[in-house]
Order: sequence, then C-alpha cells, then structure tokens
Amino acid sequence: MMKTKFIIIILAMGIVGVSCKKTWLDVNTNPNTLTSSNPNFILTAALNQTITNAVDYNEIGSYWAGHWTQSSSYIYSAVTFAYQFTNNNFNWWDPIYNNLGDYQYIINNAEATGQKELKGPAQIMKAYLMQIIVDHYGNAPYSDALKGVSSLAPKFDDQKAIYEDLIKVLDTAIANIKANPFSGALVGSDITTAGTLKGGSSTKWIKFANSLKLRILIRQSRITGRDAYITTEIKKAVQEGTGFLDAGQDMAVNPGFVASDGKMNPFYERWGYNAAGAIKSLARYPRPTKYLFDVLIAANDTFRLKRLAYAKGGENANNPGVSTQAEVVSNYVGTPYGAPSGYTAPSTSYLGPSVIVKGTHNRPLYLMTAAESQFLLAEAVQRYGATLGLPNTAQQYYETGVRESFRLDGVANPVTQANVVLASGIAESDWAASPDKLKAIWFQKWLSLANFNGAEAWAEYRRTNYPNIPASAGAPVGQKPPVRLFYPLSELGSNQANVNAQGTIDVFNTRLFWDVD
Amino acid sequence: MLVAGLLLFGPMLTAQNRKISGKVTDDSGTPVPFATITVKSTKQGVAADASGNFSLSAKTGDVLVVSATGFDPIEMKVGTEDDVSIKLGRKATVIDEVIVTAQGIRKRPRELGYSVGKVNTEEITVGRSPQLAQSLSGKVSGLAIYNVDNSVDPQVKVVLRGYRSLTGNNDALVVVDGIPNASQSVLALLNPNDIESVTVLKGGQAATLYGSAGVNGAIVVTTKKGKKGKLKAAFSTAVNFEKLSWLPDFQSEYGNGSHYTAGYGTAGWHADYKQRMAENWRPFENQQYGDPYNGEMRIIGRVLEDGSKQIIPYSALSGEREKAWNTGHTLNNQVSFSGGDDNSTYYLSLENNKSEGVVPHDESSRTSVRLAATKEADKLKAGFNIAYVQANYDRTTSDFYFDAINVASHIPISTYKDWQHNKFANPNGFYDDYYNNPYFNADNNRQKYMDANITGNVELNYQLLPWMNLFNRIGVISNSRTRKNTTGKFIYTDWAKNDAYVPAPWDWANDYDGIDRAGTDILGGVLDRITNENVINNEFQVQMSKDFKEFSNKFILGYSVYQRKTKQTEVSSGSIVQEGVFNVANRQGELGGGESNTTERKFGYYADLTTGWRDILYVHGSFRYDATSRFYKNYRDASLYSYPYYGVDASFVLTDAFPKLQSDIFNYAKIRAGFNKNGNDNIDLYGLDLQFPNGAGFPYGSTVGFTVGDILPDANLKPEFVYSYEVGGEFQFWKNRISLELTAYTQNSKGQVLTVKVPNTTGFPNLRINVGETKNWGYETDLRVQVIKQPKFNWEISARYSYNNNKVEKLFNGVDEFAYGGYSYAQTYVIKGQSYPSMKATAYVRDPVTNRVVVNSASGYPLTAATPKNFGRTIPPHMAGAGTRIRYADFTLAANFEYRGGNVIFHQLGRDMTFTGSGGWTSNRTPHIFPNSAIDDGTNTGKYVVNDKVQVREAEYSLWVDYYRLIAENFVTPGWFIKMRDINLTYNLPGKLIAKTKFISAANVAIYGRNLFTIVDKANMFTDPEFSYTTGNGLGINNTGQTPPVRQYGINLNLTF
Repeated sequence: MMKTKFIIIILAMGIVGVSCKKTWLDVNTNPNTLTSSNPNFILTAALNQTITNAVDYNEIGSYWAGHWTQSSSYIYSAVTFAYQFTNNNFNWWDPIYNNLGDYQYIINNAEATGQKELKGPAQIMKAYLMQIIVDHYGNAPYSDALKGVSSLAPKFDDQKAIYEDLIKVLDTAIANIKANPFSGALVGSDITTAGTLKGGSSTKWIKFANSLKLRILIRQSRITGRDAYITTEIKKAVQEGTGFLDAGQDMAVNPGFVASDGKMNPFYERWGYNAAGAIKSLARYPRPTKYLFDVLIAANDTFRLKRLAYAKGGENANNPGVSTQAEVVSNYVGTPYGAPSGYTAPSTSYLGPSVIVKGTHNRPLYLMTAAESQFLLAEAVQRYGATLGLPNTAQQYYETGVRESFRLDGVANPVTQANVVLASGIAESDWAASPDKLKAIWFQKWLSLANFNGAEAWAEYRRTNYPNIPASAGAPVGQKPPVRLFYPLSELGSNQANVNAQGTIDVFNTRLFWDVD
Repeated sequence: MLVAGLLLFGPMLTAQNRKISGKVTDDSGTPVPFATITVKSTKQGVAADASGNFSLSAKTGDVLVVSATGFDPIEMKVGTEDDVSIKLGRKATVIDEVIVTAQGIRKRPRELGYSVGKVNTEEITVGRSPQLAQSLSGKVSGLAIYNVDNSVDPQVKVVLRGYRSLTGNNDALVVVDGIPNASQSVLALLNPNDIESVTVLKGGQAATLYGSAGVNGAIVVTTKKGKKGKLKAAFSTAVNFEKLSWLPDFQSEYGNGSHYTAGYGTAGWHADYKQRMAENWRPFENQQYGDPYNGEMRIIGRVLEDGSKQIIPYSALSGEREKAWNTGHTLNNQVSFSGGDDNSTYYLSLENNKSEGVVPHDESSRTSVRLAATKEADKLKAGFNIAYVQANYDRTTSDFYFDAINVASHIPISTYKDWQHNKFANPNGFYDDYYNNPYFNADNNRQKYMDANITGNVELNYQLLPWMNLFNRIGVISNSRTRKNTTGKFIYTDWAKNDAYVPAPWDWANDYDGIDRAGTDILGGVLDRITNENVINNEFQVQMSKDFKEFSNKFILGYSVYQRKTKQTEVSSGSIVQEGVFNVANRQGELGGGESNTTERKFGYYADLTTGWRDILYVHGSFRYDATSRFYKNYRDASLYSYPYYGVDASFVLTDAFPKLQSDIFNYAKIRAGFNKNGNDNIDLYGLDLQFPNGAGFPYGSTVGFTVGDILPDANLKPEFVYSYEVGGEFQFWKNRISLELTAYTQNSKGQVLTVKVPNTTGFPNLRINVGETKNWGYETDLRVQVIKQPKFNWEISARYSYNNNKVEKLFNGVDEFAYGGYSYAQTYVIKGQSYPSMKATAYVRDPVTNRVVVNSASGYPLTAATPKNFGRTIPPHMAGAGTRIRYADFTLAANFEYRGGNVIFHQLGRDMTFTGSGGWTSNRTPHIFPNSAIDDGTNTGKYVVNDKVQVREAEYSLWVDYYRLIAENFVTPGWFIKMRDINLTYNLPGKLIAKTKFISAANVAIYGRNLFTIVDKANMFTDPEFSYTTGNGLGINNTGQTPPVRQYGINLNLTF
C-alpha cells in the first residue's frame, strides 16, 4: 500500500493547481494606486500642480524680464544668460499639457460624476494655461489636443485663433459657474484651503475669468487694427456684471501646505528652506538684479526694495523676515543681470521677505494678483476710455494697482507708504508726473510682478519692450534676447509632422502674433 | 561510448588469474567513483566503488581500459604489481556529457537541436570570485555579463543573445535548482563552490519549458548533491586583495580657482591670461582653474575659529588622489560535507565571505548554509535542497568617487580621514567652499541593508511503470531585505557660517566671510525599508520514456503553477532631532513613507516530446499553454491573458548516419536547426489600468488630491511574441581533441508591449500599447582544443566569439525614436531602423567637407550642434573569450580573457572633471587655437576655412567649463576593452605527501587574480567601459555612482578529508 500512498501524495501535489480556475488569476487589481477618482480630488491636485509648474517658468521669466539673475556661487548658466538654448531646454510644454490633461478630465467627467459645479473652474484653468502655452510657444495644439487615443498626433492651431477661442471658453465657463454655483462645503475664500476642497467662491472665479479675459485682450492691444475686437470683448466682460479681481482679491491657491519636504509652498521649498528650517542651497542661486534695485532706489521706493530683497548675506535665521546685515540701502547689493562672475551668494542680496520668510512654508501662491488685474483695467481705460463702461479712471486703477503691489509685497501700512510713492513727483511712480501714462502702467506692473509672476512679466516685456532692462552681461555683444521658446524635443519626437508644419523656429526673431516690435 | 552507469549492471566475471586491486583518481587525487575497468579484448569488466576502489582478476600483460563519465579513457598494461593506482584526466570534450536542460531534463548533446553552453565548477572557480556572475564572464558564447559596478555589492546585468524587447525585460532568467527567480540579484547570494554545473540555455527554444520568463534564455544553476561514498569533508579558505587598477587622467599643473576675473569685454578685463589666472585663484575653490603651481607657500581654505590656518606648498602631490582609496580585502572560508550510500546522499555546506571594499568603511559579508539530501526507497526517489543565505552590506550613499577625483592635486586629501578630530578635516574647517570632505560625506551618509534569503525545494519522483515516472517539485523562495539609510546631523558653527576669512596676503581673494557650504546645515535623516518577496512554484510532470524498435521516445506532460508576492513598506524622515539616533521617532516634521504590494500568478500546461532514430536523428517539439494574471481582468477575453506557444527542433548526427565520413581527423559532426515561438507577458504589474496616483505631495494633511496617471493603457493589450530561428553544427576533429560549435540565430519580437511617448498635447505623456517590432540576430562559435594530452602534461585552450546585432523594425506610428534616459546631453535611445540602444549626445558643429570642428570666428570657442548626434550602439556587438588551462604534473595554470567591442560609451565623470578642472584633458590653459578647427569663410553660407588665427578667448577657464564641457561628444568614447578576467595557478600536493597525513585525501593551494589587466581605447581616459549607471536596458552611460576599476589577487587553500 506504500505505492498507492506515494501516488496519492504526488498526484495531490501535482493537482494543487490543476483545480485552479481562471478566477485564480484575478489578482490584477492594483492594490497600491487608485484606478478612478472623483473630479474634486483631481481639481485639488491639478491646481497645486499648476502653481508648482509655475515655479519653473516663472524662474526663467524672472530672469528674462530682468527681475532676477544668478549668483556666482553657481556655475554660470550660458543656457539662460547667454541664451544658448535648444529645444532640449525649458520644456514647460510637457508639464503644462500634462496638467491640462487633468483639467480636461474634470471638464469631461464633472457632470457624469455629479460634480458639475467644477466644470466652469476647470474651463477657466484650461484657458489660463493655454494662454501661457501660446505666450511661450505661439501656435500649439488646442482644438485637437487633450483627446487621448482619439488624436495621438494633435494638429496645431493658429495662436491668434486659440486666443480668440479662449475668450469663448471663458464665456462658457462663466455661464457654467452661474448655472451651477458652488454651495456648502465648496465655498471658501481661496481655492483649496486645508481640509477637503474648497473651490473658493463662485463670484471670485467669475471675476478671475473676467480679469483673465483682460489679460488675453490687453496682450493684443499693440496689434494694429485689433482695437475694435478688443473693445467689444472688454465691453462684454464689463457687461457681464460680476466685475474683475478687486483690491484684496488675489487669486490664491493653497492646498494647506504643511511643514514637510515635498509638501511646502513649492516656491519657498525651492528658494527658501527645507521643512526643518535649513536654508536650501538653491537659495544662493537667484539674485535680484542691480537694475531692479536701481529703479526702486531712483524712485525712492525703498519700501518695496526691502520687501523684494534681503540685504546681502540674506535672512537672519534667528530673526525671520529680517536681514542678517543692517537693512540700509548700501547693504542691498544687486547683481548685474547676466553677470558671469564676481557676485557670490553671500556678498549679494537674496530674494526678499515678500516671498521668503523662514517658517512661512504655508503661504499661498497666486494665479493672478489683484494688482495685475488693476493694472490691466488701468491700461484698458487709458487706451479705450470711458466707452468700455468701467466705473473708474485709469489713474484710479493705476493707483489701486500700486497700493495692491505694496500690500502684496508685505510693506507695512501699504496704503500710506504707497501714497508716498504715488505722490513723489517722480515719473512712472506719480501718475501726474508721468509723461507717458502707458509706460507708467507698464513699469508699475513690472514691479508688481517681481518675485510673483516672472512668466507674465516676460510676456509683458516682450509686448511693451519696457522697462529698459540692460542686456545680459554674459551674452555676446549684440546678442538679442529670445522672443519665444523652441517647441520641445519631446513634441518633435512624437508629433514631428505637425511640429515641422510650424516652419523653422528662430527664437530670436520668430515673434508671437501680439509681439509687434 | 557507453555511459559508465550502464555498465554497473554488466556481467561481473569471476577471477581467472590473479586478483588486482586499485584506485581510480583524477588529476588532483580525488577519487573518481564508479569508473569502469575492463580487460581489453574480453568481456570482463568491473565498476569501481564510490571511493574509486576496485578489484578484478587479470593476468600480466593484459590491457586494462579505464573509463568514467567526464574523463578520457586510458589504457594500462598490467604489470607484476597487485595494487595499481590509475589517474584519469578530465575529458576536454563534452560530446557525451549529460547536460541539464530546461526543467532539469537531462539530455545528451546529440539530442539537442539548439545551442547550450555548459560551465563546470572548475571553470567557475578559476578566479575564486565570490560572485557567480563575474566568474561566468567570457566563458560562454552569446552570454554577456555586464559588470556594471565594482562596489562591495557588485551589480550585474546578464543578457543572452542581446536584446529582444525595447523597453521590457531582456535579462536572462536565473533558475536555481529548478526554481525560476524574478531577478538576477539571486546570483549574488550563491556560493560558487556549491555549484555543480551551470547550463546556459541561450535561445527561447531551450527555455520554452520555463514559460514566458524563459523567453530571454536561462541560466540554469544546479547545486551539488552528495555522492555515494563515505563522508567527504572539504575545507577551503581564500584571502584576496583588491586595489584600484586605474583612475581617470588627471592634470597636475593648476590649483584652485574659478572665474573671478572680470568678464570679457567688461571693465577690468586683462588681456594677459596669466593675470586672469592669478585673479581666478581662490584658496577655497572646488574648481581647479587657478594659476600654475609654482611651489610657493599658500593658504588653503580660511582661518579657523582658533586662529589656525593651513599653509602648504602650491605644488602638485604625486599619487595623492589614489591614496584616498583603501586596499580592499576579502576573506572566504567554507566547509562542506558530502556522502551517501546506495539509497541516499547528503550534502551540507557552510560559507562565510567577508569583504572590505576600496571605498573606506564599505563592507559586505555573506553567510550561507546549504543542505541537500536524496533518498531512494523502492520506486520512490525523494530529495530536498534548502539554503539560507544572509548577506549584510554597509556602504556609503555619498559619491566618494566623485569627491575624491575632483580635489586639486596639491590638496593632501588622504590626511583628512579623521574628520572628527582633525580640525582641517572637520566640515567646519575643511578648505573647500562647495564640496565637503570626501571622508566626512562617506561616513555621514550610510546605507546598511541585509538580505535574508531562504530557498528550498522538495522533489518526488515515483516510477509508476517501467516507462513512466511521476515527478513533482515544489519550490519556495522567501527573501527579505531590510534596509536603513542614514544621514548624520551636522550643524555648522557660526564661525564657519559667517566669520571664517581669508587672511593677508591672500585677502584680495576674500569675497565674503564664512564658508559658502556652511550656509546649509545638514539636518540628518533616516529611511527604514523592508521588502519581502515570497515565491512558490510547483512543477508536476508525467515523464514517459519508451523505445519502439529503432525509435527512442521521451515524452513529458507538465503542469506548472507560479505565484509571487512582494511587499515593501518604508518609513522615513528628512531630519532628526538628536544627532546619532537614527529612528523616525527622533524626528522633526511629518513621517514619510509608503507601501507597495504585488501579487502575480501564472499557470501553464506543457508537453515535450523527443524522438530519436537510432541515436542519429532526433526531433524535439514542445508546446505550452500559459495563463497570466498580468493580463487578466474578469471582463477580458481569455485570448488576451492566455496564450499558446511552441517550438520544434531537430538534430542529425552526420558521422553516425554516414560512418564513412569518420576518420581519425574528423570524428563527429552534428547539424541542428530549430524554430520556436515564445509568448511573453512583458508588461508592468497592474499595467492594464489607467492609474490615479496621489498628486505630488498629497495628501496635505487632510487635503486629498489625485492626478490622472501618465500612462494611458490601450484597452486591447495582450502578450507579445518572439519568433526565433536557429541553425548550427557541432564538429569534432583529431580524435575528439578539437571541438567546434557554430550557431546562427535570428529572433523577431512582434507586438511588443511598449510604453510609447505620445505628445503631451494628447493630455497623456505616454501610451501603453502593443506596437514595435525588433529583429535580433547573431552568430556564435565555440572552439576547444586539447593541444597536449599526456598523463603528466595537458594543455587545453578554448576560444569563443559571438556577434550580435539588432534593429528596431517598427515603432509606433509617428514615433521615430525615444530615449531610455541618461543625461539631457547624452542619452541612450531607441531609434527606428537602427540598432538599440544608441547613444545620442550633443556634438560639435563640423565642417561637412573637412570634418573640422567649427569655432566662433570672434571668440574661437567651438560651437555646439543644435541637435544631438547619434554616435552608435552602446552594447557591444562583438564579444570574444579565450581560455587556457595547462596542467603539468601537480601544477595547473588556467586563465581567461575577454574582448568586447564595437560600441560607444558616455562617461559622465569626464564632464564632471572638466567642470572642476581636474581632468588631464583640460591642461591646455594657455591661449591657443582650438585644435583641428575651422571658421566661417566670411560669407555665412555654410562654407568654412581652416582656422589658423582665431584663438579661444579664455582658455584658462571658459573654454573648458562653458564650452568644451557642454559638448558631450568629448566624453563619448569607443567602448571596447580587453580584460584578463581571471588567472589561477594551482598546486596539488602530491599524493604521497598527502598519504602521510592519514586523514587528508587531497590538498591544493592556488594563487589567483581577477581583472589583472584591462586595455581600453586610448580616447577612453575615464573609466571601465563596462560600467553603467543602470542595470536597465539603457546601458552605455557611466558615472561616479560606480567605484573605480579594481584588480584583485589572492591565495586559496583547499583541503579534502
């Protein structure tokens, strides 16, 4: 009987699996990552991704708009400051489109999942990001984009046509928000404060959409023959009635940053401190420019000087928000734009308390500031006058913008101090003393964007050629600065025919449609 | 020739004349069990016992023929003595040696319709490497072992016959005692002395029976079992030393400095480059672009808090950087016991291997125990094999190689080891503003990890019928890796941060007070990770073997079940409160960490038939049907997750079919051919789903955020298939003393599961889809020659060459190429129509007519081409190995060499050393015309003239750092090398001497070396071209993440009791 036993044993072992049914294979459900998600969770992460991505393109914008340069403690970046870049550099395209994929997911799924109130905000964000794409790259996939497998090689749309469609998207978005306003838990003062998603207030989203329309329209204002279109569209925005981002109404995003590496305000985390309070080595990289200091000092605007920068040596780790060295003007050492050597980090000024104060890892980041909105209104009224139907004068908007900039930069008693500058009798500070009102608006807007929105500052610099920022010290003599970016290598590699259809891109000469000179 | 075992049952005749007894041993005096001794021209014969002893009757003048499996038979005339001792030499040819093929099926070479490689223990242990993979390098054609680094935990990538898959796994399957391993890392856990044999199943056909995992070929490792006979104990001890063999090319003319002088064209710029160099000098610089060494006394670093300063000669020290590394050493001790009787065997081994590497304080150890036993009872054979291995590693996570090769040559770096007590070595006083003390970095950043691995199997084999066996093997792997990474906390003093200064007379070089690096305190950190892997694999077979007249048949029906589960959990913190206590409890801020779990299941049915006709023609076919969880969803059609595949091959022994062909010169010829189709479930686990991972950083406290995943899977994903064709022949000449094997193969992989980069404008960066087709082909040849074959003098040589190439036939529509990764300026690529991986790197602009480098006609600096250039493939198409073994009396000398070539490699450390200026190639710092350059002819029409006038503007700095460095072409070199893989001289103590000890039965002592020399291309001034930053498919890029090349030598003593 031994024999039978052995056979039974072996057969039993062999048969362990023979009885397996196909359901035995049913272990292919991902135990680590979700395979579906509600739009509200996607929106929270997408907004955070938007402001995180912005840290990258705002950095380059801050350099090329003359706000910042690099210190000599780091190896000189010829790519950035001698403009020796290729299609392998500055790829904002991929992260932005990836981010757009998230917003598109919300647009496509918000209604089906019973979260239809999120569709409008997602559409606004799509318009917001598409403008940034156009402002860096010109023609881009738009009508054929974000369709997944349905269109694996999206064709490019004309940049002007995209711009025009963005206005329509914003109209739709506003209508959607009005039809499905936020209620209950979704309502908050800012977008996504700590806890579950708060979408902000519906009113504020609509105001943001209107201000964004202004940003899109004013960008085209120097194109000959475009005024009729622009005024028509501005009037529609005014007539919509909700208004624009007013004083105190920055479009802020804060998912509730916490003091943990990878979870802090991404700007702070890159240029400031780590979670345990040690200064980041990259804090030694960006330097406010000498030009920025010179123009502030020339305007006696040391209020904002001391907010935009720390004195040389940087922040006093034991006294957050205050410089190590005495905060006297002589200690504010700006670095000449593009200087290839001679300005080490400890001997020059650091980014200032308007953005970096040790321990304030939980400040929000801004999609758009109230100051920018006010300067857009100022330019609109200055250019097109009262026919727009806006309630205030250009000067009023301008002055509100300057005051808002003081507030944003964290100047103590911002209104009082701003009024000092506004009444200084100095051109481009004091409205009355400014011979060219548009230049005053452009200059003050440029100042208000410093440290906060380099990409917008660079776009506006290309539009206005103002202020007169010096040429990069490290670039070859006579080298023009870039007027756009290359389409990234990644798009060329995977969507070649459509990229090549855009013709040869000369980053120094192929201007965007709104960049007329 | 008959297999010795068969003769066991041959007739045993009774004595006619006188009784002669004797003992059969091998060259080293080790008994050869079960040898066959026959009296020539008679039918008389006996078999020796397990200890080699025999006795038979014969008369003086008779000729005894002695043979044994694996040995050359010898003839011996009977003299007058009654006691004879017979030594057999190991057979040089493998013609009738039984080979372990897939699923442990034993076959004779003539039965095989495909190419296999076999490596025996002797060949493996030539260099006494504690690592099995390294000891296989160059020893089998078609087998590429990439030794991608040299640390105390050396990583390898083992590939057979090149790449088939573009992005999926191309690694050969490693099977140990029948159990397939999911990763090649198991190779590091094996004691090479435990290995009985390694069979290399090169093609898919050979491995069909392992299922999908065998599509890349298989390394089949069989460990030792005991042998019948009395208890045999063996003791071995080896000690070996390891020293750097070479470092990159250094310059020793210029000291610390960077670009401090006024920029070109700005106020204060000096036309005299010497003045610029002098202004560039800084006592605290990490770069080495200062003025030339002149021997004067200069400060390095700054004044310390206690007022002390380091003032040393400004002149290069010789060989100082090399001194940064230690001499490593390894001590290996092991003992094994084996024995058995007619019904059972046992084998027990214990090993301890302890290594200290060349990087200070890096060490590893491995302790293993293996127990195997078999028992036969009636018709049942049962066996088990269990091994436990514990391997411990303690290594730095800092980049010591980078740190050490980038110090200036006048810095006495080797004096900074004691950073705790030496104030100039302490981070608060270390001279360099940007890079910390290499020894501090190495000590302060550690990783300690331990692998505890249990593998075991139980085999039962029951002979149900005379021609039918039931076989079952259940195998398990339980592996756990526990890891702790730590970074010590270091807070700089206020003095270091703000007050340390450069004193007179160097104070002109003081840009500020304080050490730049000290501005960033090190807050410490800890990471704790546990990874568990559990594999269970059951193999059930009905094995049938029956001959019908002239047809021999072996038929196997099998059923295989496989399950693998893994779990990884980790906790971490980026800062610690109290220094020296590395526990997440001692932290500041949030707890980091995560978990990952996987389960994978497969089952497969298979049938395998080998039919032979008269031992001349063999036809073999196999069929398998697999089902895999990787493609399973309950809503998917069965055809998407289960799939059949099959193969057929044949071998034909010409010399037996046509005996007239045979002569003393030409002995044996076999030709073979095979085809097979292999299925492969080459997809990432859980790869069918679009995933929604946490958004970066989420959750923020209680704020939840998810993002749409980056890979969009195609709904119709299914397994991919590889079609292989192989033809070959095996030939033997000169009384079997020359054997030659030739093989040609081609493999087409179709419908690969590929994650292709689609435009991000689709909203998804990547699409996972069945697409892409590759062709992979090659030739292999193996030659063995027994040059001299005499009882006292034996010389064998072997040589092998393989050529492998591949081509990307199809990619996703619209996608012509994609990158595996690397650096933005030098990446390995898959490019349609090309072999892969290919190196694309930023390159010079060249005059298309003269190929000269185009330089800017104003500045003289070389221009960088707008698009990167393809420099060719990065894995070597040509591989050749050569081995020799010479035995004279009691001495044996063996050596193996390997050549690989035809590829290119990018060396990141070349770029690093151009940045710091430590590279020898940067030593031309005086004004000069860029070599072999051309400039625009002034017409701007793309025409160029030879540049004989425009000098580079700032050769003392900008040329190198701002221009030369950025052109990655400068660091792309041919990847060919010739290495002496291993060499060994063994002395067997003479039997007479041994006999006197009474208890030792054999003893030998060996001296050996590994990688004693390496020859590389003269353009390769950087490092070992075999190194790689990855063990993934994108080989071809190395950096300082690997330790420098080393050579090893040692001594080994073996005793058998």
